[in-house]
Amino acid sequence: MSSIELVDLTKHYKQGRNVVRALDGVSLEIGAGEFVSIVGRSGSGKTTLLDLIGLLLRPTSGQVLIAGEDASRLKDNQRADMRGQRIGFIFQEYNLLPALNVLENVMLPLRYTKSRVEDGRGRALELLEAVQLSDRLKHRPDELSGGQQQRVAIARALINRPAIVLGDEPTGSVDTQTSQELVGLMRWLNREEGVTFVIVTHDLDLAGRADRMIGLKDGRVISDAPVLHAA
Amino acid sequence: MEIVRNLARRRLRSTLTILGIVIGIFALTTMGAMAAHFNALLDGGARYYGSSIQVGAPDGQASILPMSKIDELKQVDGVAAVFPGYGFDAKPGSANVVNFGPPDTILSRDPAENTYNALKTPVAHGRDLTSTSRGEVVLGSSIANEFKKNVGDTIDLPVRPKDAKPDFVNHAFIVVGILAPTQTAPDVFAYVGVPDAQMLLEDNLPVALRDTIDSTQVAQSFTVYGQPGASIGTLDAIANRINHRVGGVKAFKPSDVVSAFKSGGAIFTAITTAAAVLALVIGGLSVVNTMIMAVTERFREIGLKKAVGAHTGHVLREYLAEAVLIGFIGGAVGYALGVALTNLLNLAGRSSNLELFLITPTLTAIALGFAVALGALAGVIPAFRAARLDPVTALRTTN
Repeated sequence: MSSIELVDLTKHYKQGRNVVRALDGVSLEIGAGEFVSIVGRSGSGKTTLLDLIGLLLRPTSGQVLIAGEDASRLKDNQRADMRGQRIGFIFQEYNLLPALNVLENVMLPLRYTKSRVEDGRGRALELLEAVQLSDRLKHRPDELSGGQQQRVAIARALINRPAIVLGDEPTGSVDTQTSQELVGLMRWLNREEGVTFVIVTHDLDLAGRADRMIGLKDGRVISDAPVLHAA
Repeated sequence: MEIVRNLARRRLRSTLTILGIVIGIFALTTMGAMAAHFNALLDGGARYYGSSIQVGAPDGQASILPMSKIDELKQVDGVAAVFPGYGFDAKPGSANVVNFGPPDTILSRDPAENTYNALKTPVAHGRDLTSTSRGEVVLGSSIANEFKKNVGDTIDLPVRPKDAKPDFVNHAFIVVGILAPTQTAPDVFAYVGVPDAQMLLEDNLPVALRDTIDSTQVAQSFTVYGQPGASIGTLDAIANRINHRVGGVKAFKPSDVVSAFKSGGAIFTAITTAAAVLALVIGGLSVVNTMIMAVTERFREIGLKKAVGAHTGHVLREYLAEAVLIGFIGGAVGYALGVALTNLLNLAGRSSNLELFLITPTLTAIALGFAVALGALAGVIPAFRAARLDPVTALRTTN
């Protein structure tokens, strides 16, 4: 079964009298455990596509199926539940809560899902060890570097054992070396956890390390091909 | 914990907001304590006068009534008991420019009256007077404090003024009992037996009349009772019958007296309400302002929370909890300051019978409950604003 299935997905916005076709009839299937990058120029519809997959937006028409379940017709709270249980998010600006320490930030999604906090704490410690931040549990976000903050965000995205992790320019705010480390970490977690990663990026290095690269232009898929890795 | 940290992160703003609530609840507590004091006073009056009929001289006549009227009054249908009444200024000559309560007063007391009156005045220390008491006094709690008297002490009554004339007369009384606090008029009363009250009446009579009036045969007023527990309507009817059948006296209908007390109480209730409105305006607006700013500054946090699974209700609860906490902290501090100030003022005024404040459990509940409700109410609009935010818009906001 596909992890994500998009059926003739469109998203139109009104801007005054004009209608902007941010996404225009996109159909895609992304399999479980795939690592997919979505590339395209600014305004090509990448972020809109990611927001629709992440159930943060409702499509104008078409369907979004997550693990076979049509999420298009779910009510807001059901969509929130599905996000909490099946989808993890990584943002360019990390979006860590400044009032919480590293461990609390990673455990934040547990607050809104039915997971047991005791189990979640163990999972959070395990993830923080995986992202090499075990020695920073009590630190506040402003005491960490950009790369460290993004590693916290990656751990947070995985806390509820989601089927899918969506990344919106996850390496957009860090230097090249940190970017490579983060890509390596996400790939490793993709393999270790078997989680589907869908990453929107301008970073060609990141896009090139995906299993599959989808190109968008003017809201349409213009390319969709496996990435050939050097042996 | 996150709520506390969020408040701590914006220390100055949080402090100023909490200060707004502190001022409001402080005002509510102090004004409320003053209103509670006066309401207790008036409530005591309403209970006393609502369960008895006061009989005095007809309008325009000096209040000297023959004791023979007792028998006539007892003949009236429904009358169960009649007690002669005498009252004198305990501190003659004192200049009460501003009077916040009844003055210290010497009254006659018959222990049997407690059986009939709804306002009970139990003795806390020592014993009550007897029907044959002479040279003995039972003091109300405030007057005992004012003159620092305990059971067994002696007090000269009436108290000699500093500029007393040579012919001023007073008498030494042994304090045999001190009443439990009632928060109403009896707290400032000194009760003597009827024979002693008649002696004081004689002292008070103009010199020209002393030889013509036998003070043991007159009273200044009578307090008439129906059966214990008689309704105010029944007592009104008895008062009407007295006015109809007994000449040379005027009986006051209890309902008229109680109405006068209630209208007095309404004034103080208005003061409390005004203080509450003040608290609402000052504190409420500051909480609304702070919470709107907090929501605006934290759009991305709200977006993130919704992205990771928070429902609208989760976000609503979190922001409401923050507003309620602000209200509670401000309320607790404002209430504590109000209690401290009213206690200090009561302590300072004790020596001059000027205890103006009464902190009651009801007032405590109102002050703290009001602060929490204020926080919740003021937080509702910002919290709704936060909860209804579209996650995509919130996440893309640049602060």
